[in-house]
Amino acid sequence: MRTIGPLAGVIAASSVYFVGSSAAGRFSPSQLAFILIGAALYTHVAAYSWVPTLAIAEGKWTYVFPQVFISPHSSLPYLTGRTLASFFSSTLTVIVSLVLSFFVLSWVFNTSIPFTVTPLSVTLLFFAMLVNILGAFGLGLLLSAYALFATKFEWALPTYVAGILMVFSEALFPVSFLPHPVSDVANVLPFTEFMRASRQAMIQGGDLYSYFYYIGLATLGGVILLAIGFLAFRYAENRGRRLGVIDKKTA
Amino acid sequence: MKLHSNPWLRTAYARLWVRAKSIYGEPLWVAVNVGFPFFTSFSFTMVYRAYGLGAYAGFAILGGVMISFWGNVLWSMASQFNWDKQVGLFEIYISSPAPITAILVGMSLGGILGTAPSAALVAILGWVIFAPPIHPFWPAVVLIFSLTLASLYAMGMALSSLYLAYGREADSVNEALHEPVSLISGVYFPSVGAISPFPFAVQAAASIIPLTIGMDALRQSLGFPIPTPFIPLYIEALILALMAIILLLASSRALRFLENKGRRTGSIAVRQR
Repeated sequence: MRTIGPLAGVIAASSVYFVGSSAAGRFSPSQLAFILIGAALYTHVAAYSWVPTLAIAEGKWTYVFPQVFISPHSSLPYLTGRTLASFFSSTLTVIVSLVLSFFVLSWVFNTSIPFTVTPLSVTLLFFAMLVNILGAFGLGLLLSAYALFATKFEWALPTYVAGILMVFSEALFPVSFLPHPVSDVANVLPFTEFMRASRQAMIQGGDLYSYFYYIGLATLGGVILLAIGFLAFRYAENRGRRLGVIDKKTA
Repeated sequence: MKLHSNPWLRTAYARLWVRAKSIYGEPLWVAVNVGFPFFTSFSFTMVYRAYGLGAYAGFAILGGVMISFWGNVLWSMASQFNWDKQVGLFEIYISSPAPITAILVGMSLGGILGTAPSAALVAILGWVIFAPPIHPFWPAVVLIFSLTLASLYAMGMALSSLYLAYGREADSVNEALHEPVSLISGVYFPSVGAISPFPFAVQAAASIIPLTIGMDALRQSLGFPIPTPFIPLYIEALILALMAIILLLASSRALRFLENKGRRTGSIAVRQR
């Protein structure tokens, strides 16, 4: 059941591309591969980067999070565990939807999608996904720092972030199409570099040098985002304990 | 006929008022609801522009508008009675003299009123930013839009009885239905007709969903550049009206059947979690 949504999302994005580019007489299988990888991996990042925020937002209502919050240890290990669990389950989902959409789209669009599927390329893709945990968890912690204090609609914040990521992470189109200076910001996001590295690994014509270049940038950006997220969450947590905000909630 | 003398109208108005008030009483809801449809339609509009056909950008903006209503039908109509049952509200509905169809119609009208601001905001932002070429025939747009919403919310009413019967998995079913129905209904691209990427069998199956016919009819009435229409506009209008009536009757029958069965077996108020 969990694969149906991401699979439909990937096929929808690819169909939008197919309809637009075919009508313009500019259909290219490599661009289809670009969108297919981006749409699948965007779903993956969106699925687990909001888990820490959701754990707090839902946990306030179910009284799970206040129990974690008042325990002697920080809530950080709890949020890390939930994020990693979600990462593994969404990795499985995204791999299944990527494989299924590859076969479905090859058949429906009657084309050959230029994927490179070798033990090396698949390993490189998994490695890129692992590296991306840094940035995604950093983003999750930043949102969580806000969720500790928010009393309403904090559950909606991740949908905004997911939407923003869809536009600014080069999931469906090159960020160079965005106006300056927005495109410059999007260009240095770790999620954008992660998408580029994954495409270098999985689409024919990619090379190892470019892959490691983008992975290096994704790691650097991810570490910075994680550090900012960690500091923000620690600050929010300490302040939250002092002010006693954890039980605050409104309908 | 005065409103206060008719229990059906009073019930529908009361349910409409509660739902509309919940949105308009907290304007932040509009900001919350507009986020995902806007960014999704923005991304797909950029895909159309980046890879070839900017003239089709309007498809994605219209999709962003209609996806708001589809989400409302699924999350706030279809699964609403199931949630009401879980919190003990449904047994109050059925033990009161309020007609269940009036509650459903009131809920639908309230849902439409509540979703309208965020859908309008997506349309305005999309049209201001991207200015897609359209040549609308407004009377037809208004008629088709109304018929599409009528048939879509009637489908939501019919689904609500199904969810009531098989309620345990309502959230999972919603998650599983949302994206696939958006896909085959062609919310962001024409899924039926000459430029559809899908084979004929898929197009035929998609045509039994009101959203598919509604989207195609809206694209035609807005004057989007579609080479050959799937079905003439007036036939699509008739199909939508027919779908709305059939689904409304089906939902009424199904709910009455479930209510009677629930009363006989004593299971109507049994919570399944």
